[in-house]
Amino acid sequence: MIKFGPGNLRIPKFEKPVYLVAGGMTDFRKRYPEKNSSELCTEAMRMAVEENDLEISAEEFRRKVNWCVYSQFADHFGDQLLAASKIHDYLGFDPLGNIEVKTGGATGGSSVLAAAQAVASGYADCVPVIGWERMDDVSTKVGNSYIASAACKDFESELGWMYAAYYALMAQRYQYENSVPHETLAKIACKNHEYAYYSPFAQNPGKYTVQDVLDNDLVSDPLTFLECCVMSVGSAVLILADEKTAYEMTDHPVQLKAICGGTHTLRTADRRNMPILLLPNETEETYKDYFTSRRQDWPGFSSFLASRMAAYLAYNMAGIKDPVEDFDILETHDAFTISDIQTYEDIGLRPYGRGREFIESGEGYFDGKLPTNLSGGLIGTMHSVGATGIFQLIEIMWQMQGKYDKFHGNPELWTRFGKKKPDDWKSLQLDNPKLGCAISHAGTGSHVTCSILEKA
Amino acid sequence: MSINWPTACLEVVQEDPLVIKNPKTWHHNHSYGGWGKFFLGLREEKLLATRCTNLNCAEKRLWLPPRCECPDCWCETEWIEAPQQGTVYTHSTVTYPGELFKLPPGTPLISVEIEGVCTKMMSWLKEGKPEFGMPIKAVFNTEKPTNTILDLAWVPV
Repeated sequence: MIKFGPGNLRIPKFEKPVYLVAGGMTDFRKRYPEKNSSELCTEAMRMAVEENDLEISAEEFRRKVNWCVYSQFADHFGDQLLAASKIHDYLGFDPLGNIEVKTGGATGGSSVLAAAQAVASGYADCVPVIGWERMDDVSTKVGNSYIASAACKDFESELGWMYAAYYALMAQRYQYENSVPHETLAKIACKNHEYAYYSPFAQNPGKYTVQDVLDNDLVSDPLTFLECCVMSVGSAVLILADEKTAYEMTDHPVQLKAICGGTHTLRTADRRNMPILLLPNETEETYKDYFTSRRQDWPGFSSFLASRMAAYLAYNMAGIKDPVEDFDILETHDAFTISDIQTYEDIGLRPYGRGREFIESGEGYFDGKLPTNLSGGLIGTMHSVGATGIFQLIEIMWQMQGKYDKFHGNPELWTRFGKKKPDDWKSLQLDNPKLGCAISHAGTGSHVTCSILEKA
Repeated sequence: MSINWPTACLEVVQEDPLVIKNPKTWHHNHSYGGWGKFFLGLREEKLLATRCTNLNCAEKRLWLPPRCECPDCWCETEWIEAPQQGTVYTHSTVTYPGELFKLPPGTPLISVEIEGVCTKMMSWLKEGKPEFGMPIKAVFNTEKPTNTILDLAWVPV
């Protein structure tokens, strides 16, 4: 669709406010044969219910639940269709109703969207969202083929069987149109690997220099390994509830002000030129000099219409006027460094063509104006696909509840995951963040959700 | 009556925790459906695209990859040969491809811009070093076709 009708841009609304109550996670690993998927989800569920200072017992919580949402990207990986049914049983939730959601890399965000719709409509008032991915049954090469099965298998998957290559094609075009120094891209990788260093959940932490990233092996030029997300095993669970139920469990829920989804063609090839969909902080004047001989199309290969659409709806739903001014914390789907720069533009942190400034200005850092991916993101901490969008929201919720240190600085948690808390660990707890945003993203931008959280 | 134990033995990858190897040996019979015409066309060195037949539809350009129905109006499309010359819209050389890749690592992947076509199809460069805007022409694997999109490639003009 390149021409909108009046119904297409209707701003979604909730009939009832929706709250995030508690969250839990396993650590994330390349291989996790010690625990099957049911055990991993139970571990995350127990952390959510038993370690978030809830005012009710685990048994009382189980008696409150009336609907469940399961979040897993690919049945291929676990080689078990209807795995959600096994996990639902394992968690003791039978015969309550459930649904499993699948939208590629955005599965986590879409699952929370489905849960929010249930709560906002009054269909349910207490909904756990249970996400996981089992990516260690197969080799990394086969895993990449499985992931590339989520490209168009008729016309694109065969060309590499590797999602990093499909992103690299976009990266090269973005670079051709915008000339971003590779050093700027490398800074994103350094930032997120470092933030992962302070997280006991993280799979790929590290303190790297820009030169380390530039010297790293190429996966598909220009992307190096350190600029690509990890392949993970693990689980994340987030509990959503209506206002009354949320406050029965905690005095500190976080309100989900908005969560909206957008889509675009699975094949990057099929993205036709269209007018730029403007965010509240943009006007036609913003783009009067945008198009050049090199930059002739929008969204082209340099922008994600799905992200722009999701942000457009969510910003209008939550009353966001300027994301950098309004938000205190952000989690992006940093599957690749280049897609992070593209996303900065799609969600209006900078106008199209100027995304690099968000990193170069320092705004996206812990001590910057809009700290981004303090969780360590997908590059540093995890991309256990079905859990990813859930993990992002949990990390923001914990920041708003003042619990970063509780869940990242506790030496016992590091020990639980077989790790030692670093001697130079530092707290990334922000000073009273009130408004936050998370982007969950699939394919080369086939599905995207934009969530907006507000401290209650 | 006593039924014998199965003779197939699954390989043990590790004992504790127990990890076993589940072999997968079957194949899928994948139908291209209406798009099959495109792949059959490659054998005859034809680049078959589609165009909407609805005169009132705003999209007059060709679809490549083809579509049997127009996404803007759902009307039937007609098959038309697309130009076999284009330019490199973007490119990347894949060093670490996934398991099923049938070409060698180091193969340059490209997206192709063709005049009169509303898409920029993904393909690969069979000869030369890719550069933005480089004029290229289509070549076809007719001797021993894979019957996949890999039977189409491009070389510098």
